[in-house]
Amino acid sequence: MKKILLVDDEDSIHLLYREELEEEGYEVHSALSGEEALSQLKIIAPDLVILDINMPGINGIDALRRIKEMNPALPVILSSAYQEFKQDLATWASDEYIVKSSNLDELKAAVKKHLA
Amino acid sequence: MPELRKDPIIGRWIIISTERGKRPTDFIVEKSEGRGGFCPLCPGNENTTPPEVLSYSSTDGHQANRPGWDLRVVPNKYPALVIEGNLNKEGDGLYDRMNGIGAHEVIIETPDHHESFTSLPPERMIKVFQAYRDRLLDLAQDPRFRYVMVFKNFGAAAGASLEHSHSQLIALPILPRMISSEIEGGLSYYKYKERCIFCDIIRQEINQDKRVVAQNDLFIAIVPYAPRSPFEMWILPKRHASSYLAMDNDHFTALTAIFSECMRRLNTCIPNVPYNFVLHGAPLRSQPLDHYHWHFEIMPKLTMIAGFEWGSGFYINPIAPEEAAQFLREAAI
Repeated sequence: MKKILLVDDEDSIHLLYREELEEEGYEVHSALSGEEALSQLKIIAPDLVILDINMPGINGIDALRRIKEMNPALPVILSSAYQEFKQDLATWASDEYIVKSSNLDELKAAVKKHLA
Repeated sequence: MPELRKDPIIGRWIIISTERGKRPTDFIVEKSEGRGGFCPLCPGNENTTPPEVLSYSSTDGHQANRPGWDLRVVPNKYPALVIEGNLNKEGDGLYDRMNGIGAHEVIIETPDHHESFTSLPPERMIKVFQAYRDRLLDLAQDPRFRYVMVFKNFGAAAGASLEHSHSQLIALPILPRMISSEIEGGLSYYKYKERCIFCDIIRQEINQDKRVVAQNDLFIAIVPYAPRSPFEMWILPKRHASSYLAMDNDHFTALTAIFSECMRRLNTCIPNVPYNFVLHGAPLRSQPLDHYHWHFEIMPKLTMIAGFEWGSGFYINPIAPEEAAQFLREAAI
């Protein structure tokens, strides 16, 4: 079973995403901050990371840079409520940038593409 | 006493507030630390960018989208405007709209992550200016685009999010208001005097020699009479030309020399100062204009744009341009 590390500081996102992604047949692990995500990477060894941007502490973009430094081949999907972070060229290190929506079709399609 | 000054081209008013007698060392610039970690613009990470639309390499047999490049231009991975589609211009009552068509590209100026634009050796910097021209020439063939804005942000305060030296361009289906205002101002002056206002500014600045920062046979760098920002500089060709696209190949060396000198002088006055620079020129595919003159504007980011500036269109500059030019001229480089 493919493993996904879901990083977001909002519990409601974990509830929603976990249910939908588990229905798709993925094993979902949660981290509530950038720091927690970085510490869990080696333990969980996920196949893909879904990463929020606007988080206290290490934000998603800085976490992305560190994740890609550790493992450039690990697919990372940035998932943010905001479009404007796209102006930060550091987001280019991600494999997808998806604006959060209650409809997870786009996110699920991106996950499927990168875990194919 | 503070002084109100009017920009002679677009009529913008500036307040020169010199009572505090600011010196370069009075401006506090936070040292921007590199964020570290993975850099999508570095050699070896070409797969994290869209395929390049231009690259220069001095490596024999260099393959596209592989390490070995000296400069790369790539489309924005997450563009605000999209390249595919039609404009579909339409009105909604008194409002105008069109599809968000455009091109947004990033010029990766050097393969060296730690090399700043100011520290680029001339043989690298010249390629940056050539790349601007080459991309403008290519994008000018697209009839949907009327203007290409070339710009650089350096430092977080100036909008740069990545320390790897890069500049950007955005091709637009419309002429930006700033450019149309300059062209209209230039035309108005031309109708009255039958001379280019920029050429007259160059003549007067050379004669007065109060705001000249540097010059060579082909280019001049001045602090403008009514600068928006402390240490603002304009670099203009001495010979009249309305479009950057028409620049001769053998002029790039002189442009590089004066640009590099200005940036080094600025960096000596205020180390690591955040800045923006922009290229202003005639619209794409326009005939040569007798009343307009291409130029670069370099804007150090040292003051806040707040309510008064937004509301009035005025800028408050705490250092007189004559003093700024003197500091820049006397900076040891």
